[in-house]
Amino acid sequence: MTSFLVRRVAGALVILLIISAITFYLFYAIPRDPARAFCGKICQPETLALIRHNLGMDEPLFVQYWHWLVGIFVGREFVQFGECPAPCLGYSFATQEPVFGAIVDRFPVTLSLTVGASVVILAFGILTGMIAAWKVGQPLDKVASASSVIGASLQIYFVGPLLAFYLVDTMQLIPRPSYVPITESPLEWFTHLLLPWVVLSIIFTANYTRMTRSQMVEQLAEDYVRTARAKGMSNRAVFFRFAWRGAMIPIVTIFGVDLATLLGGAIITEQTFSLHGIGELAVRAVQNTDLPMLLGVTIVGAAAIVLLNIVVDVLYAFIDPRVRLG
Amino acid sequence: MTAVLAAGALALAGCAKGGGGGAPQGAASTSQKPLENKAVSAITVGTAQDSTGPAPEIQGAKSGGTVYMIDRDDFSHLDPGRVYVNYNSSVSKLFTRTLTAYKHDESGNIKLVGDLATDTGTTDDGGKTWKFALKDGLKWQDGSPITSADIKYSFERLFADFITEGPDYAETWLVPDPNKPFRDQYKGPYDGKELDTIETPDDKTVVFHLNGEHPDFNFTVAMTGYGAVPKAQDTKQKYDKQPFSSGPYKIVSHITDKSMDLERNEHWDPKTDPIRHAYPDKFHMEFGVQAQQTTERFMADTGNDKNAFTFHNAVAAERVQEVLGNAELMKRSVQGLTPFTTFYNINTKRITDVNVRKAIITAWPAKQIQQISGGEVNTGKIATTVMSPTVLGYEAFDLYGKLAKPEGDPEAAKKLLADSGNPNPTVVYAYNQTPTQEKVTVAIKEALTKAGFKVVAKPLNPTTYYDAIGPVDNKFDIYWGGWAADWPTGSTAIQPQFDGRQIADNAPNYTHINVPEINEAIDKANAITDAAEAGKAWAAIDRMIMEQAAIVPEYYQTYFGLYGSGLGGVKMDPIEGEQSALDIWVK
Repeated sequence: MTSFLVRRVAGALVILLIISAITFYLFYAIPRDPARAFCGKICQPETLALIRHNLGMDEPLFVQYWHWLVGIFVGREFVQFGECPAPCLGYSFATQEPVFGAIVDRFPVTLSLTVGASVVILAFGILTGMIAAWKVGQPLDKVASASSVIGASLQIYFVGPLLAFYLVDTMQLIPRPSYVPITESPLEWFTHLLLPWVVLSIIFTANYTRMTRSQMVEQLAEDYVRTARAKGMSNRAVFFRFAWRGAMIPIVTIFGVDLATLLGGAIITEQTFSLHGIGELAVRAVQNTDLPMLLGVTIVGAAAIVLLNIVVDVLYAFIDPRVRLG
Repeated sequence: MTAVLAAGALALAGCAKGGGGGAPQGAASTSQKPLENKAVSAITVGTAQDSTGPAPEIQGAKSGGTVYMIDRDDFSHLDPGRVYVNYNSSVSKLFTRTLTAYKHDESGNIKLVGDLATDTGTTDDGGKTWKFALKDGLKWQDGSPITSADIKYSFERLFADFITEGPDYAETWLVPDPNKPFRDQYKGPYDGKELDTIETPDDKTVVFHLNGEHPDFNFTVAMTGYGAVPKAQDTKQKYDKQPFSSGPYKIVSHITDKSMDLERNEHWDPKTDPIRHAYPDKFHMEFGVQAQQTTERFMADTGNDKNAFTFHNAVAAERVQEVLGNAELMKRSVQGLTPFTTFYNINTKRITDVNVRKAIITAWPAKQIQQISGGEVNTGKIATTVMSPTVLGYEAFDLYGKLAKPEGDPEAAKKLLADSGNPNPTVVYAYNQTPTQEKVTVAIKEALTKAGFKVVAKPLNPTTYYDAIGPVDNKFDIYWGGWAADWPTGSTAIQPQFDGRQIADNAPNYTHINVPEINEAIDKANAITDAAEAGKAWAAIDRMIMEQAAIVPEYYQTYFGLYGSGLGGVKMDPIEGEQSALDIWVK
């Protein structure tokens, strides 16, 4: 187990290093001078040169990349922005704030959004999928399957404003989505995020319903289930003690990927509800060709994916005793 | 002050609002009701009497309450020295004061008045030496007095190496040699050295010794970029996030990209201030709200949104018709001309024959472009001059009959091309590759082809547009651009763009025009001390440039925005081209 983790984490770090180097290089392939954004309307060449120096952009690319890497561990000092304490991912070209601070600041928003939505998605998705599998071919199965297809074909930017209009503006049942730290007021945190959770789950739940149903149906036809039944085990016990374990493996895999995507930036959700999370940061970084922020968000997104992949692999071992980590 | 978006990212932000080269994306090309446009206001220089506080009471207005502000972006800079863009400037007026400022009266007239200064400054040598006297009772947010030493220091720190985003007019004029980089001549106050061209004979008097005659220097110092910063509170780079207030409000919280809260600065004395009413007790500002969302929230008008306005967000293009047709919404709308003009540069280094250039203007499909871009409300008034009607001295003229034939006159253009000796010249048109601009390009190609041109259209990536058109030796003949005067006189509306001695890579003279008569006329206009007379001289230069056919004017840009029903006193600020916070009160 330990050696497995060590190997995986080392591999993950190498992947992150490669991703950051590629992002860094690609950004500079764009024929655009970020220094221009720091220059007044009538930009004198000597001012532009000064800004490039202030940003450390008058050095060769690999030196710049090296400074960026070193900055993560020991911090940096920029003339244009002032001190950048470790872990320093640089300053945003657009907002002139430390990238690391901005990401840390916004992470709770995206995390709340993701974790809350995940709970709803998993609870509903697996529950309805199980019910459908339990009652295969019966009306309840048909209703669950049909509604999941409808849910899956909807889009956040359609359902979001629609529900916001009815529930927030017209009926005024729930407050306009925003982020209230859970430490400030757990109730407000909950009510203000309710709408985005519901909207996300309407769309994502469907996948899990269908997946759980088909996996369960498949598992119930497996030899080991037949054996268990033949030995006189009750339907309920077969269903909940054996079949679901097999069914969960692909669900965990998909969930790992979905969760990483959501953590890396719930871009559309955050835009739809004006939530200030990592997704919004990513969109703005692209719009502003903001290299430091782009790098920061990319690394966080990549780290989330790599990390959750490791977690998923570990989870396999717990769900399915046949998998051995070593 | 109104540095609306000209270079780099700022320009792109501006285009995003205007649509990446002229027009909002996805705008419907339906016919629209004409925008009600107030007569262009008179711009004058006020007296000491005009400069005294308090600001004249607004009938019915009352103090108290919280005003909400919702907008797309956070303010990118709040350190006065780093403020150039209008959006940053609009909010800064709540906590940063300048030597002079603009006073707007009920009929829309604009007057330059003293803000920190008792009047708009005096000069007795044609604008080389400027003297400003500070008012009594001026205080910083900690109650300490605002002195002439503070003003001197505010200008000195602009030379520091980290202050690069703001205007650099004063810096260039305050060093011995205006033709050498100003930072080579003075490095700023942080190593203890002072700038000896600014004198402070006593606590209340500041004297500027410029290296040339600048009769409108009193307009220059109205820019937020020349706002006051106290030495004792200067936190250098950090000052950008937490400036120290000289105005009626102070920043109590600012979370980048999310929100900003202002509360009263109790040390501000309304008796010293001719332009700020400061009716509300608090401001709460929320960022990250797109134009479509602000429009919908203003239309819904519920909860705190009732007491909300927006500095910058315009009515979303797809909602314009609905708003225009709704009398209740129109009652809480703000509209008018901004100082921003848009135009198509004609590269005079490549198209050297003036008749060919005239033919381009004559054949230009101004009306089709406007329709494709969403009509007048989403774009602006079709322009025929360089200067905007918001500039002192603006004269309306239309040398090429564009208002009579806005759809283009191919026959007249053909005649001009016949005179040039080349009836079928090839022109390279470079454009921002956005959905709207693709359509606009088709219209331009069609209109110019009809007149006999061969048009080569070159799509450019919107993110690198300015980098592509910036080099003097770019390979394009026609390319879109925009400009706004930094203060409403010809010296910033015209000179940076059309002074032939200022041609350089990425410099504002994108047409590369260099006509000795124009350069000479610019120098003469710059030396006229009477503002009204100078205005006339600039209007004459405007005509000379249009006779040279250096640009195809596109729009005098208009602004059209909404606010909540619970607010009074929400007005258009014609200097910044967006909503003003200075007269707002909660009903």
